[in-house]
Amino acid sequence: MKAEMRQKLAREPFAEKIRKVAQLIRLAKTFPRRKRLTPAQPHGK
Amino acid sequence: MAINEPSDNLPLAEVLRAANGLVTAGLIDDWALGGALAAIYYVEPFTTYHADIFFIPKDKGLSAGIPAIYAHLQAQGWRVEREHLLVRGFPVQFLAASGLTEEAVREAEQIEYEGVPAKIFRAEHIVAIAASVGRARDKARIEQLLQPQQADLDQSRLENILQRHNLKLPQP
Repeated sequence: MKAEMRQKLAREPFAEKIRKVAQLIRLAKTFPRRKRLTPAQPHGK
Repeated sequence: MAINEPSDNLPLAEVLRAANGLVTAGLIDDWALGGALAAIYYVEPFTTYHADIFFIPKDKGLSAGIPAIYAHLQAQGWRVEREHLLVRGFPVQFLAASGLTEEAVREAEQIEYEGVPAKIFRAEHIVAIAASVGRARDKARIEQLLQPQQADLDQSRLENILQRHNLKLPQP
């Protein structure tokens, strides 16, 4: 992300940032991260 | 339900109101929001799944008055799940402050969030506490707070805190 965009996000009002955190939580629940595959499990088994 | 509806938001105002209620009820002396949500006050938002409320206990005994705090909040409909209390499903941890964290509570910044008066750790204390804990996520938090386009840290205040508590920032 560009530095200017990150600075803009950091300068937003706290209430707006908290709304964004709530959105991030919902996104994380909707699209959970896949566990990294280890060499012993090359196909995710 | 649309993603931006207020009911989709974190119940932070309820958390802060409840913390004020603990002072009114005489269960704690003072409190402040710390942890990741306090860091987000100063930097760009990131994912976090709970709130940390640091409090100065009224009861100086070993339990720090935690059983009475839990009972008080449970009577208001909060649920207990392991080390957290849950309000509308959002986990909140109440942590007794001492030493550096007690100083962070006493010197916390006064804010107002959705009409609720609250206190929040200063960025310099968040950095110092992260330096004292030293996990990978704490190092990442320090790095983020020290970036010039993020929090506007008071460098002399930070150095003073680090020196008094015998702490050093991790090497990059």
